[in-house]
Order: sequence, then C-alpha cells, then structure tokens
Amino acid sequence: MLVGGCDVGSTTGKAVILDGASIVSHFILPSTTNPEKTARLAMDEAVKMAGLGSLADLRYVVGTGYGRLKVPFANENVSEITCHARGAHWLNPAVRTVVDIGGQDCKVMSLDKNGKVLEFAMNDRCAAGTGRFFEAMARVLGCGLDGISSLENQGANPATITSQCSVFAESEVVTLINEGIDLPSIIAGINNAVANRINSMVRRIGLTKELALTGGCSKNEGLAQALEKKLGVTVTLLPQDPQIAGAVGAALIAGEKANHQ
Amino acid sequence: METTIKSRAFEELAAAAEGIMNPAVQEWREGGGKVVGYFCSHVPTEVLMAAGILPFRMRGTGSTGTELSDAFFSSINCSFPRHTFNQALRGEYDFLDGLLCVSSCDHIRRVYDNWKQNLDTPFIKIMSLPKKVGDPQAEWYREEITLLKGELEKQFNLQISDDQLRDAIKLRNETRRLQRELYDLRKAQNPAITGAETLAVMVAGSAMPAERYNALLKTLLHDLNGVNGTRDFRARLMIVGSELDDPEYIEVIEEQGGLVVTDSICYGTRTMWVDVDEQAADPVEALARYYIQERPSCPRMNDDQPRRAQFLRDLIQEFQVDGVIGERMLFCDFWCAEHYMNKMDFKEAGVPFIQLDREYITSGKGQLRTRIQAFLETMGK
Repeated sequence: MLVGGCDVGSTTGKAVILDGASIVSHFILPSTTNPEKTARLAMDEAVKMAGLGSLADLRYVVGTGYGRLKVPFANENVSEITCHARGAHWLNPAVRTVVDIGGQDCKVMSLDKNGKVLEFAMNDRCAAGTGRFFEAMARVLGCGLDGISSLENQGANPATITSQCSVFAESEVVTLINEGIDLPSIIAGINNAVANRINSMVRRIGLTKELALTGGCSKNEGLAQALEKKLGVTVTLLPQDPQIAGAVGAALIAGEKANHQ
Repeated sequence: METTIKSRAFEELAAAAEGIMNPAVQEWREGGGKVVGYFCSHVPTEVLMAAGILPFRMRGTGSTGTELSDAFFSSINCSFPRHTFNQALRGEYDFLDGLLCVSSCDHIRRVYDNWKQNLDTPFIKIMSLPKKVGDPQAEWYREEITLLKGELEKQFNLQISDDQLRDAIKLRNETRRLQRELYDLRKAQNPAITGAETLAVMVAGSAMPAERYNALLKTLLHDLNGVNGTRDFRARLMIVGSELDDPEYIEVIEEQGGLVVTDSICYGTRTMWVDVDEQAADPVEALARYYIQERPSCPRMNDDQPRRAQFLRDLIQEFQVDGVIGERMLFCDFWCAEHYMNKMDFKEAGVPFIQLDREYITSGKGQLRTRIQAFLETMGK
C-alpha cells in the first residue's frame, strides 16, 4: 500500500512515499513563496521517482511542517513535532531524544519506546539556533553553508560569541573578522554558540540516549561535533537523510490511518 | 470573535471586551459619573463602587504598536504595560478621572511612574500590596484600603459610609456568583460556552457598571439555559497564567480542538471563586482579608505556592481537565518560576502540561497552533 508524507517547511519542502516498511522515493526542494506550490512540486517529483502515474495512487497523505494546512492533497495534517519524532524513531528505534534544527526554528523532543512524544521544547521566538542563523553567518564569512559545516574548518580554539540574538551575533562575528581572528576559530565559535543554545533546550526536557538530529541543519557536521562535546553523548546517525525525518513520520502516520480506514 | 451563541446580552458583553470605550461607559460618563482605571485584580474595586465611581480595568486592547511608549520602558519590561501605556499616550484613556495601581509587579510600577510624569489624569495613586498572605499583611492592607478611602473622599469630595461599602461588596459578590454560575456550565460534557467566549464575558465585567453587567449576565445565563454545545473538540484544557484579556488567544487554542473549560488567570477564577464576607463588622477589614488571604492566590504572593497548586488540582477535578496550558508573557518573572513549579507538580500527578510564552497582543498564531496541535497529539487526543 502506497502512502505519502509531505513536510512543507520554512526553507525546504520534503515529500516521501512509503510502501509498507520501505521508502520508495523522497524529494527535497527549496520552499517557494506559495506553500501549495511547494507541496505539489515536491510530491509530484516523488511520485515520478516512484514510477507512479499520479498522486491518486497514494492511499493516504499526511501534511506537516509550517505549511501543513496548505498541502492541498493531504487527507489530514499532523504537527511537525509528532512527525519528526515518529520519523526519527522509525529510522532508528533506539532514539529517545530528537533535536530538529530547521530553517526557522529548533525543537527538542523526548520520546517513549514507541516513538510517542513525551515532552517537547521549541524555540521559534528568535533566529539564533536555526538555519537562518547559519545562512546569515555564511554570508558574512563568505564561506557558504558547506564552509560552516566542514569538519576541516572547525578551529581548535573557538571564538566566543555570546549574543543570544542572531542580529547581534552577526555584529560580534564582524568584530571578530576585523580583529583578524582566523576563519576556523570563528566558524567553530558559531557552531559552539548554537550548540550552547540547543544544550540548554535539551536540558529543559532532559537528555535520554540515544539522541538523533533531524532537519536541514543536522547535516552541519561542525554543529553535530560541537553538540556532542556539550552534551557528552554521541549523536546517533540515522540510516536516511535526516532532513526527511518529518516527511517520513508523516508518511508513517498516513500508513496507519489508511489501515484504519 | 466567531460565536454560535444566540444572545443579545452576549453580543453586548463581547463588544465591550473588544475595545476600550463602550456604550455603557459612555452613558455613565454622560450621566456625570466618574471613572477610575485600575491595574491588577488586587485592587479593591468595591471601594470605588462604594464612592459611586466606575472601576475600569486597564487593558491595551486594540493596540497596534508601542512606538509612543517604548521610550519609557526598558528592554526587559513586558508588553502589557507597553501597549496599555501606549494606548494612554494616544489618548484612549482620556476619559479617566483617576488611575489606581497596586505594587503588583515592577512593570506596573513603571506604568504608574510614567503615567504620573507624563499624563495629567486628576487622581493617580499606587497602593502598597503586601508580599505575603498572613494576618499582619491583611492588617497592612486594611490600612492601605483605609488610606485609599480617605483619599477618594478628599479627591471626589464625598463620604464613603460602611453601608455603602457593604452594598458595593454585595453587588460585586453578585457578579462573582453569576460568573461562577457561568463557569458551572463549562463543567458539562458539551459546554454551552467556549473558553474564548467566557473570557470575553469576564473581561466585560471589568468594563461597565456592575448593575448593568449583572443584568446582562443574568440574561446570558438564561439564554444559555439548556443549550447543548455540540462542538467537536479533542480535549478539555485549563489555562493558567496572568493578565490574559484577549479572547482571540484562546480562540486559536480552541480552533486546534483544545476546548478551554476553566482557568486560573487574572480575568478568571482568581477574581471570583470566593466571595467577600458580607457579614463582617468592619467591611474594610473584610476586603483586606479577601484580597490578601481569601481569594485564590497569585504567584506574586510569596510562600503560598502549595495553596495555589491545590487550587489547580481542585479545578482539574471539578472541570474534568485533560491537560493544562501555562501561559506567560515574556519577561514575567513571577509566572516563569510558578510554571516551573507547576510543571514539576503536574509531572508527578501525570497531568499533561505545556508552557507557552506570549506577547500581550496575540501574534505568531502559526507557532501557537503548532504547539497546541503537538500538545494535543502528545496527549493522544
């Protein structure tokens, strides 16, 4: 039975097609200014990749993410908190804590052994600790997101960046540049600053192993490394692209719903 | 506000909550009546009523910005005084004959300071509100109320007799009794009134003469009699927190399927759960005891959290609450600490709880929706 999950985020749209317990196809694209269009483009591509004729071949579709109310072909919508937890737990059943770092917010969820969310914390009041923050820093440093992520660029002496606000953190980075601090120290400092933020969110919920990262920023290796140091645990890797965890969770829930129909 | 209630009384009450000035206040003013604005539910409004003055609770309803007031506050002041003072600077409160504050929190104190310096309202006073709830503090507040009485008599050239105080207490108790009756309806399996609608009715109670309000509330209760709310909802929620006067905030929660069936907020149960003693020999002492010791406690009061926690537990049982939302305006330190303690208590009791930070003017609805939806999902609803 084929079902779909569509995660319309602030920065990217993700679509996943599941057949029972296997991922048939998935697709990620940058979000447009029209959430319906983003959803449609992502799912159409996933449908094509799965070799299907049309969307109608999917028995059930669940929408999630900021644009979840605007997924025109979804049978229902579920919050991204529940979906990321479900997706990450399905990809690795040992996971009990999920940190989802997306384009415009960051969430921490604690899970039970069935992947159900016990508690969650969410930062969406400011850009610090989100993809937006990294984009802004990459622009100032002229190094691109890859430059911030690359492990080779993580200096041994991270510069201190204390501003909680990403606008002021940017000013701090500009100051560091003008003081002649080397790029790797600044990059490590940036990842450290975000890791500090996430660390305090994780502590609010309580850390239970295993911990997995999801969302676009989970691909930032420098951040993952900094976070491991702060939290004192090894980040558990997921066997699939962690950016699609939310869409995977949505598709899993779609599968359950279809079974109950 | 979206509503399914068919009641002219409700329409008038909801309209009063939607803005600052309303026809009932206008009529009162045109009849030569005085109006004194007040901040915080610890202000003994009965004293104003006994003096024939209309107490009007201060809100920033309808504010679209804080450009005029920002200069008077620091970056750690919450958005409630900012918006409310901005409305005052815009002239929305020019109809006031006085302003009465209590030292409830530092943010409200700053409103008092700035108001005194920048606006020429004829009467402005801040009462000293004790920090604890013992007998010495009730005695302290008795003295404060006596001072207030004297100052009102002088300012407005009148006398406030004990009988007038008793009448005001009875009138205000009648409001409380009717409001409790309204809350009783919410205990039903399909309540005839939503949380957003209830909040509008509660806010209206602080924005019009008590006689008019009580009459409207009686009519509303009559109109709701036998009405079975057929609303589709996923869970029964309680909202706990501070100065929440915007029904729209609760509307967003209820749109997600979380029906708010009771509360402990500054416009809710804490203002009406118990009555002021009508039989006491000294009505001033009765008021002092009520505001310091007898009414449900507010986190502003020190060393009283166990009693507050018990109050919440009782409400959960009485209203069959499935989960609790703790709301807090950014920069509110009282509620930050209180919600942390509540969270621990609820965790132990197995009651689902979520804390939400908010701005005074409801914004970021998308983020609020995500949290509420996720909260309901974690509850398995």
